[in-house]
Amino acid sequence: MRKRLTIGRVLVYIALISGSFIMAFPLIYSLFGSFTDLEDFYANPWLPIPHKLYLENYRVMFNPAFGARIQLGQWIFNTVIRCAWYIVIPGAVAVLAGYALTRLKFRGRDLAFTYLLSSLMVPGIVFLIPTYVMMARFPGAGGNSWWGQGGHGFVNQWPALLIPGLVNVFYIFMLRQTYYTIPLDFEEAARVDGANTLQVLWTVYLPMLKPVLTVLVIFQFVAIWNDFQWPLIVSSGNPEIWTLALGIQRMLFVGAQAKGIPQGTVQDYPFSFALATVAILPLVILFLRLQRYFVEGVQGFALRG
Amino acid sequence: MSSSTNEMAISMPKTAAPSRWTRWRFRHRQAIEGWLILTPILLYYSIFFLFPIVANLYVSFTSWTGVYDSPRWVGLANYRVYLNPPYPLILFNTTLFAVVILVFQTGLAFFIALLLNEKVFGRGLYRALFYIPTLTSAAIMAQVFFAFVSPFDGIFNAILKELDRPIVVWTISTFWMRSFIILYSIWRGLGGPVVLFLAALQGIHREIYEAAMVDGARGRDMLLYITLPLLRPMVIFVLVTGMVGSFQIFESVLLISNGGPSNTTNVMLLQIYNDAFVNTRLGLAAAGAMITGIVLLAFSITNMRLLSRGQASS
Repeated sequence: MRKRLTIGRVLVYIALISGSFIMAFPLIYSLFGSFTDLEDFYANPWLPIPHKLYLENYRVMFNPAFGARIQLGQWIFNTVIRCAWYIVIPGAVAVLAGYALTRLKFRGRDLAFTYLLSSLMVPGIVFLIPTYVMMARFPGAGGNSWWGQGGHGFVNQWPALLIPGLVNVFYIFMLRQTYYTIPLDFEEAARVDGANTLQVLWTVYLPMLKPVLTVLVIFQFVAIWNDFQWPLIVSSGNPEIWTLALGIQRMLFVGAQAKGIPQGTVQDYPFSFALATVAILPLVILFLRLQRYFVEGVQGFALRG
Repeated sequence: MSSSTNEMAISMPKTAAPSRWTRWRFRHRQAIEGWLILTPILLYYSIFFLFPIVANLYVSFTSWTGVYDSPRWVGLANYRVYLNPPYPLILFNTTLFAVVILVFQTGLAFFIALLLNEKVFGRGLYRALFYIPTLTSAAIMAQVFFAFVSPFDGIFNAILKELDRPIVVWTISTFWMRSFIILYSIWRGLGGPVVLFLAALQGIHREIYEAAMVDGARGRDMLLYITLPLLRPMVIFVLVTGMVGSFQIFESVLLISNGGPSNTTNVMLLQIYNDAFVNTRLGLAAAGAMITGIVLLAFSITNMRLLSRGQASS
């Protein structure tokens, strides 16, 4: 399988290695920089090489002694909860809706799908403010009257972080496309054996949907883990329910105090690098473990989508 | 009992004759299941998707702080604000960023996918390295990138000092700030198209290229006449979804340049955010959202039409 080493192939390798190095450089820089203190950091701006392993950045983050302002554990927990919620429910909705839209025949089926599809063309920004207002004026919640006036509704509460976005039309679309590639014979065989719909879905379709579901799980996990804008808008006032992305952002301002550096003297970049590393590492590890399934899923989509 | 029921009773196990209701349920079981699944979904969708679009349209014609008062109808006043500076500049920036990022990102991703498609050693590693920036949080990485460009304690200037050159105040320069944000967005967005293009490329059978080689085709011809046409659906998909994405950059502009110097990197999403939550002018923000939506819709439709010319409908 060894191909001849031609000039062309050498160039390809050069391009790929330098390309991926450039892509990785900010991350490498950030990783190295998180282990330096400020002195070491400025000593060599090309790449901060720690001369002594400086763990203070990390210790500050995980140290509960810095009080209510920094609650890394709580934020990680919140983010994991949100991720799990937003993987299971939109996933189940997509699987069920995909089934209903492809395997069942009834009047109005295609109309329902077109109705759902119409939202994909509209940019997310359009939903931002109305959804915020809906959370803030939710009748009966958080001090609101039955007409939704007066209080703050679900703003700064858990429901605002869990209610929107349970139906993801993109995933329904993706699942629908995938259902079309599965032959009907499997379901028919199961039906002959007397399975009802739920059993068919669970035993027949779910295993076959694994590649596309892996893609869905990864996309959703990354999206919710990194979700910054919505928690910023809807839960800024309540640090107890912050997600990791939001909390880390805020830590940048508090961190200097926590480390005992008077604010405003020098921006503590190594600290922000440490924060970035903590935020990114779980995703990188997850991706590296699931990469094979992810690629299979994407290939399935690329060849048949 | 009708005779038909008696006939059924002969060939079926001994159960009670099905009632009209049961028979109706059986005949319509697909519809019942279908609507059982779809009704909650459509209901949720109507509340969280359709209603916001309609509500946004309504709010865009009002003046409202969202907190202290009720909406007050002002007609097209909010839209007229978009005719005055700095709003045209913001629209220009948004389009500029969207087009430049999309073109360079897609082109570069295609090139890289072509390279990766050769039988290279360690392909998975390269692919992972190209994709990992996409996994990062836009907000957090924007902070990291800011460290490079910060004028007085940033990394670029520290390097310049090492080389005994004068420092450059990057954040004051329109050109540098725009370029930096474009580079950052390309860095973050490259991975997705690379993975997609590579997957599509690997779906092309080797035999096609071999047959072409027999016919005397050279590398460039094969690229133009085999690869590109076969990859067209994927290119269309990447361009259309990429357009939607690159129109909506937010975190990078907020955290690296905050729209500045003087609004030259201000984009629609940032301005809408500021209007809504900093200036509490929800009507203006809603109008901005509608404008962005319409512009994006127009671009997407044009995009799809241009690219699908001659292509059989998918």
